[in-house]
Amino acid sequence: MRALRMLGSSVGTKIILAFTGLALFGFLIVHLYGNLLAFLGPASYNEHAHELISNPLIIPAELGLVALFLTHIVKAIGNFGKNRSARPQAYGVKKWAGGPSRKSLASTTMIFSGLAVLLFVVIHLKLFKYGPVYTDAVTGNRDLFRLLLDDFHKPGYVVGYVLAMLIIGLHLRHGISSATQSLGIVPESWTMQVLRGGMALAMLMAILFAIIPIAVYFGVIR
Amino acid sequence: MRIHLTVWRQAGPNVGGAFHAYTAENVSPDMSFLEMLDVVNEQLIKKGEEPIAFDSDCREGICGTCGFMISGIPHGSQPHTTVCQLHMRKFNDGDSFTLEPWRAKAFPVLKDLVVDRSAFDRIIQAGGYTSVNTGGAKDANNILIGKDIADAAMDSAECIGCGACVAACKNASAALFTSAKITHLSLLPQGQVERTTRVLNMVERMDTEGFGSCSNEGECEAVCPKGISLKNIATMNKEFWKAVLQS
Repeated sequence: MRALRMLGSSVGTKIILAFTGLALFGFLIVHLYGNLLAFLGPASYNEHAHELISNPLIIPAELGLVALFLTHIVKAIGNFGKNRSARPQAYGVKKWAGGPSRKSLASTTMIFSGLAVLLFVVIHLKLFKYGPVYTDAVTGNRDLFRLLLDDFHKPGYVVGYVLAMLIIGLHLRHGISSATQSLGIVPESWTMQVLRGGMALAMLMAILFAIIPIAVYFGVIR
Repeated sequence: MRIHLTVWRQAGPNVGGAFHAYTAENVSPDMSFLEMLDVVNEQLIKKGEEPIAFDSDCREGICGTCGFMISGIPHGSQPHTTVCQLHMRKFNDGDSFTLEPWRAKAFPVLKDLVVDRSAFDRIIQAGGYTSVNTGGAKDANNILIGKDIADAAMDSAECIGCGACVAACKNASAALFTSAKITHLSLLPQGQVERTTRVLNMVERMDTEGFGSCSNEGECEAVCPKGISLKNIATMNKEFWKAVLQS
């Protein structure tokens, strides 16, 4: 009983946020693999999508993903509220300490970048997963590649998507290394490597995701 | 030296406060920041005004009693230094500073720059101890501890409990303070008996007192006069989930 209660504590909350955050990061890597198949042409892209959609495990996997998202969001919002109430009176003058501190734009805006990502996910699902259904004339499967081309020939969609990827990159810049720190799974001597690695990985993810709409717009993917 | 000060004045707990401007004249560069305030207070007393209240005890940088915000940074911008060991020779004639108490729900302001830090004492009471049999003093090396472990434990034990970590944290989190004690005792054989319950009890107390959670930014480490590392928080979290799984 006490173990369960302790999961609601400040440290328990951070551990849950870290665990769900890293799991969602894992999902992003799998998602990115599917996206990058667009460079190989419509056949590879649509085949991968069909394999996923037609897999009987897709429903439980999606439910699990929703559970991860919801847990992360609910816990993060609750945590934000508690943290705000821990300092009822603000400082007249407050500066960043510098030095070994890793405080950054990313670390101070996690709740806002997170909520922006949530908004993006909703729009993204509505426009893509639950968007127009085209059918491939040859295979009879859903032609998501055509939808990809349709969407990203609109400059507004490209700009919006790239912006969203920058925000996800910002969220991950602090999120990846912070999660490993919260879980306490990194040996002490590796702290700096994990910090730098997390930042590099966040930037790489954002670039690889953002490159696809740009490639579509400029006709590299067609 | 002439120093311009903007100081938070608050007559007592649960009453409003405001910033007031003062000028410290004839400040010697050899004075510490607190000795400079002593001079200001003498001038205030001569004028029949209430002196600025601030905490201090050893004035050697080892007791953890002193501390307030100097222009937005706990203990001022000189790393690894308490206010009492911050000397005026580090500053220039005519410099201006804003002095403010630590701000946290768990550290209510008692007067001016003095806050009530007994929340820290209650966190220690919750688990920052070891149980030993009383009796005659034991031989110093009765329990052998490797030098690397003893050194690591000492790094964590160096915390003086001044509260700068809470003051610097955007969440007013006491994670660095609490984790330093948990890490210190988890490394040593004497700390093993209560190892599991200690981390749970201390974290629970930390939350009850109204401190926030750790965002892993490391502002605390940057302002800590003893340089307590953020690694202690990673250790606390690891100790925490191990304890949850065991309990």
